[in-house]
Amino acid sequence: MKCLEIRNVSYRYEGGTDNVLKNISASFESGKVYAIIGQSGAGKSTLLSLISGLDICRDGDIYYNGKNMRKIDRDEYRAKNVGVIFQSYNLLLNSTAAYNITLSMNISDSNIKERQAKKNHAYFLLDKVGIDRETADRKILKLSGGEQQRVGIARALSHDPNVVIADEPTGNLDAKTEKSVLEIISRLAHEDNKCVIIVTHSKKVTAIADEVISIQSGQLLCKPMNL
Amino acid sequence: MYVIRHALLNLGKNKGRNILLGVIIFAVITAAFVTLAIFNTTGIVIQETRYTLGRMVRVAPRQIVYGEASVSFEQFLSFAESEYVHEADIRESRTSINGIEAIYYLKQPEMLTNFEAELRSRGLPDTYSVVSEELSFENVTGNLENLHNLSLTFLVIVLILGAFIMVLLSAISIRERKYEVGVLRAMGMKKKKVALGLWIEIITITCICFALGMGAGTMLSQPISDVIMTGQADSINVNISVNAITVMGILGISILLASITGFISVSWINKCEPIKILTERN
Repeated sequence: MKCLEIRNVSYRYEGGTDNVLKNISASFESGKVYAIIGQSGAGKSTLLSLISGLDICRDGDIYYNGKNMRKIDRDEYRAKNVGVIFQSYNLLLNSTAAYNITLSMNISDSNIKERQAKKNHAYFLLDKVGIDRETADRKILKLSGGEQQRVGIARALSHDPNVVIADEPTGNLDAKTEKSVLEIISRLAHEDNKCVIIVTHSKKVTAIADEVISIQSGQLLCKPMNL
Repeated sequence: MYVIRHALLNLGKNKGRNILLGVIIFAVITAAFVTLAIFNTTGIVIQETRYTLGRMVRVAPRQIVYGEASVSFEQFLSFAESEYVHEADIRESRTSINGIEAIYYLKQPEMLTNFEAELRSRGLPDTYSVVSEELSFENVTGNLENLHNLSLTFLVIVLILGAFIMVLLSAISIRERKYEVGVLRAMGMKKKKVALGLWIEIITITCICFALGMGAGTMLSQPISDVIMTGQADSINVNISVNAITVMGILGISILLASITGFISVSWINKCEPIKILTERN
């Protein structure tokens, strides 16, 4: 089922002269893992910002479940429908790992209402990405880059979003954790029917992808198979 | 609900900045409290003094005119039966021109004209004056008026300076928290909730400072007033009291200060797009 669709999207940063993305079209389905590859500066992260609702495209349209992103509440979209794993984690540094996750659940108005139940769910998610309870109760500032990356992954999954978007999610992980994270991501798509879009340079990530999309100089080089 | 909890937790997480903000708010509230307490109390004392002196009417001959009929002691006593008189103090006096000192306390200061008209109709000669003590008001309350005006000027300075410092601190503080706001917005928290959280933080700090400032202000008002009044000629002992007007005034000032900072936060957040904040930081 088509979950996200990009139609003729072009994007230029404020004050910039050239388009970072040039007339891109693509569609993404639930139950699949998409890998977006390309050189640095090709426009991969910009594309992720647009489909995660963090920014809005100048030309063209993006549709989520058939609804134009321009017409939906993008805050609510980010809070409920999409989980973003940032390359630079973007966590609340003065808060604990567990609090970062329960806060995300609060913002998304999660189905889990009780405070302790939310906390238990946060421990559960963190445990899934290899963070034990003691580490979960530490402030983000005191965690290593790899641990922060895993907290970012757990946070993205905390509100059970339909779309999971990740920017280099395994960039700071060791081989063992990378494997387990890739298994989680694969299961999200293939068992939980989520749409997973990953920007990556890793061959291990592209190996689990159902479709690989290549961007070069703001243009799609290889169209996904379903277009 | 989680916004309130998040804001309260944030108070502890950013201790250094919040303590600095709290100290400044506390200083402003305490200074405003002291000046407002002095301003209100002196205002009340001035008003009461004016009222008391305005009611106090002295009836005495302007000069000795030989051959003119003078007013007898009994006549002075009969004037005290006027409906305008609350009480009278009539006594023989060696210092007064006619040997009688007659003071009438009217029910209201504005009854003076009617009272004089009544006395004239009852035979009080034109050579006698009917004068209220209001004329000596300035001599009695001159220093008090100075203190009253000084406290008002100081209050205005404190408020302007306090507001200026608060604006400056808020602007610095909000820039420090740019990243945090960016993360919350990226997670999907709405602008109004982010702004509400920041506002709750500042309101909480202000409430704590309000309570502390009230205590400190109550303790400091009287000694400060005494120091100011010391050394002034004809000084009056003013008992500085904290009344509802003062408390309401300080509450208003506290809300004003919190609103200024809140307004700055909200206007800044309204301009912020999460992607810009996070991109700039990264």
